[in-house]
This record gives sequence, C-alpha cells and structure tokens, in this order.
Amino acid sequence: MKVQHYLGGIENLGPVDVEKRVFVEPWEAQLFAVHTTMMGTGIWAWPDLRVLAESMNPLDYFKYRYYIKWLGGMCKFLVSRNYISEKELEAKTKYYLENPDAPQPNAGDNDVTGRVIEYFYTGANPYRDVAVNPVFKVGDTVRVKDMPPAVHTRLPGYLRNKTGVVETVYKGAYLYADNVPTDGICTAQPVYLVKFKTRDLWDDIPDKGDVLYNDCFEVYLEAV
Amino acid sequence: MSDDHDHEHHHHLRESETYYAARTKALESLFREKGLIGTDTVDRVINFFEHEMGPFNGAKVVAKAWTDPAFKGRLLADANKAIAELGMRDGIEGENLKVVENTPGTHNVVCCTLCSCWPWPLLGLPPYWFKDPVFRARVVREPRGVLSDFGVTLPDESKIEIWDSSAQVRYFVIPERPAGTEGWDEEKLAALVSTEAMQGLGLATA
Repeated sequence: MKVQHYLGGIENLGPVDVEKRVFVEPWEAQLFAVHTTMMGTGIWAWPDLRVLAESMNPLDYFKYRYYIKWLGGMCKFLVSRNYISEKELEAKTKYYLENPDAPQPNAGDNDVTGRVIEYFYTGANPYRDVAVNPVFKVGDTVRVKDMPPAVHTRLPGYLRNKTGVVETVYKGAYLYADNVPTDGICTAQPVYLVKFKTRDLWDDIPDKGDVLYNDCFEVYLEAV
Repeated sequence: MSDDHDHEHHHHLRESETYYAARTKALESLFREKGLIGTDTVDRVINFFEHEMGPFNGAKVVAKAWTDPAFKGRLLADANKAIAELGMRDGIEGENLKVVENTPGTHNVVCCTLCSCWPWPLLGLPPYWFKDPVFRARVVREPRGVLSDFGVTLPDESKIEIWDSSAQVRYFVIPERPAGTEGWDEEKLAALVSTEAMQGLGLATA
C-alpha cells in the first residue's frame, strides 16, 4: 500500500494552507519551465513524474513542498536516462552555490522554445476514437475493485470496495499511458463517470446529501 | 569538524532553498549546454502562463456564460467546442474539459486527490493550495471544513458535489452570478471571478 494513493479522507491534518500563488520561491518557476521543456520535447510525460512521486518515502512526500518533489524526481529521471550525469549535476550545483549570480551559459537551441509553446496548445489527448463495447451503462450500480498495488494507479484509495452509480459512459476510449507500469490502464478502454454518495464512502460523516464524482477506467469496476 | 557534523551540515544544506535554487540553475545550465533548451525558453514559458494561459481565460468564459444563456448551454454540453467560439484554444491538461454550474442549493468543488489535475487552458497553473496534500486529503471527506478555511460558508440546505479528477477529464465551475450585477458588461463581470471560484473554493461577489 502506498499512502500517496490514499490521501483522500485522511483526518486530523489541520487547516489548509490557502496560499494562492503558483510558485512560492523564484526557482520553482525556472524548474517548472525546464519540466515543460522536457514534456514539450518528449523527454518525459506526466506519468513519469507521478511514478517517481508515488515511489517516494511517504513521510517525505508529506514533508516536502510540491516543486521540491519535482526537483528530486527530475534529477533522478534525467540521470537514470543518461540525459545528464550525476557528476556534472553535482559540479554545476556546487558552481551555482558558490556563484549564485553567475549567468546561464549563452548556449542552447532556440527552436525548442517554439516547440514547447506549441505543445501547450496541442497537448497529448489520451482520447482514442476506437470502437469499444462498454460493459456498463448509465444507471448501473458498480463496485470499485480493490486492485493489487501497482507502480502507478489512477484509482483513488478511498474509493476501493465502494459502490456507486454510472452517471455517464464517455464516448470512445481513453488511454492513460503506455510507457509506465500501471494496474491495467495502458490500453485504451471505456471510462465512466461514477457518482458516489459521500455517506457511502464514510459512514461516520453527517448525511448532508453530498455526492462525489470520479472518472473510472473500466478495468477498475465490477458489476454488483 | 567531525564526520557526523560534516554529514549533518551537508544534509542541512541539501534541504535549503539556496540549494534548490542552485540545483535548478544547474539543470537549466546543463540543458543549455546540451542544446535541450533555448536561451529564451524559461522566460517565454513564464510569460506564457502570465499572459496567454491563465485564470483570465476562465473568467472571460464565466462572464460570457452569465450574460448569454445559449452560450452557457453549449458550454455545459461541450466545453472544448464552446471556448473555441471565444477564440480560445484548448490544449495541455484541457484536451477534455467539463464545465459544471453552481446553482442555488448545489455547490460544486473540484479537486485531484492523486496529484494536481487542473484545467490549464482555462486557469493556467494550479495554485499552491490545490497541490497541498492537506487540501487533497480533507476536501473529499469534509468539504465544508475546507470551504471554511477559504472563508466560504454555504447555506445549510446546500448540497455539495465534489469532482475528484483522476482520469482524463478536467473540471471547471461556473460560480453563481452575484446579485446586483444586472446590466454589467462582460469585462466588469470577469473581474469578479477568482481562480478559487472557478474550482468551487470561492464565491463570486460584487
């Protein structure tokens, strides 16, 4: 079990930090731009980052700020894929620690910039216009399976073994990713919008008539 | 200096903002030397999210929906198609958008308990609070408590609909139009709409 999959519903955490900025330190914006460059040029995609976040020590996951986790994940990935070496990364880090105002090298490939901006507008649509025969239909009661733990999942832990009703059967099929190990979402399949009563998810909360929607890949559902 | 002390110093340094900043500079600098990034890429990306893809897009969509019921109908039916009418492009993290509407008695709240799924074409990048594990953990089980942290109190009889994004659809909320804004033009209305309101963690007020 990975705590990262089971965040929803954890109690006693205290108030939410209502920080409305995106970047709380200047380096986070620079790091984010390097990350989007990696995405726009095909070095990596969201699933690679998520796999790394889910493989972290769960206590560290709570301890470190969002972009600190990204920084660790990006360095680890780039070294493991030989885009950069640990040695040169350490040497450069030392250099900028000692010379914080040193400029960036006047080198690079400026064609990359246009590719990254264009990527923001094209995205990477996981929709697949293929013929599928959805197992479930609108109004069906379904149970969320308790899938074996995987390197990566898109199934929130608090929904496991819970029962909901199919609200929408999305047209066509969706693929999650085909380059990371998942619990069965690497092939295009129907996705369903499933409606749960929150009282069915947690029977000790006051019944206010609230509902929760989640989009479930077909492999996560079974008939009741 | 003992080895232990040395180790501790090293560990402390590696968990400082100074270190993260140097490490990030090192990454960009290696990317530049290897031709993996342009000299202007970082500035261009930051500028892009300040001026081209940000919450100002979503606010325009809300203002249009408030003033044009037929547009609102098309937006609720097919958001990607409807925003194109306004000359807005979709794209990354918004290839499949779904718009939901707050009404008297029903309040929608969006979250992503697994990571930070967010409708970029309409809202730009997610703010800190959306990515914070405390928000993600609490909002699904105790949405009223979380709303109260944001300074929002709903009428007692309101029902909450929570949208936990985890597959390929990205959700966006049309907040309720505030009273006393009859006859306002779209630009004036758009200025009332915060990022938080467009994910259900705030209300639009005049």
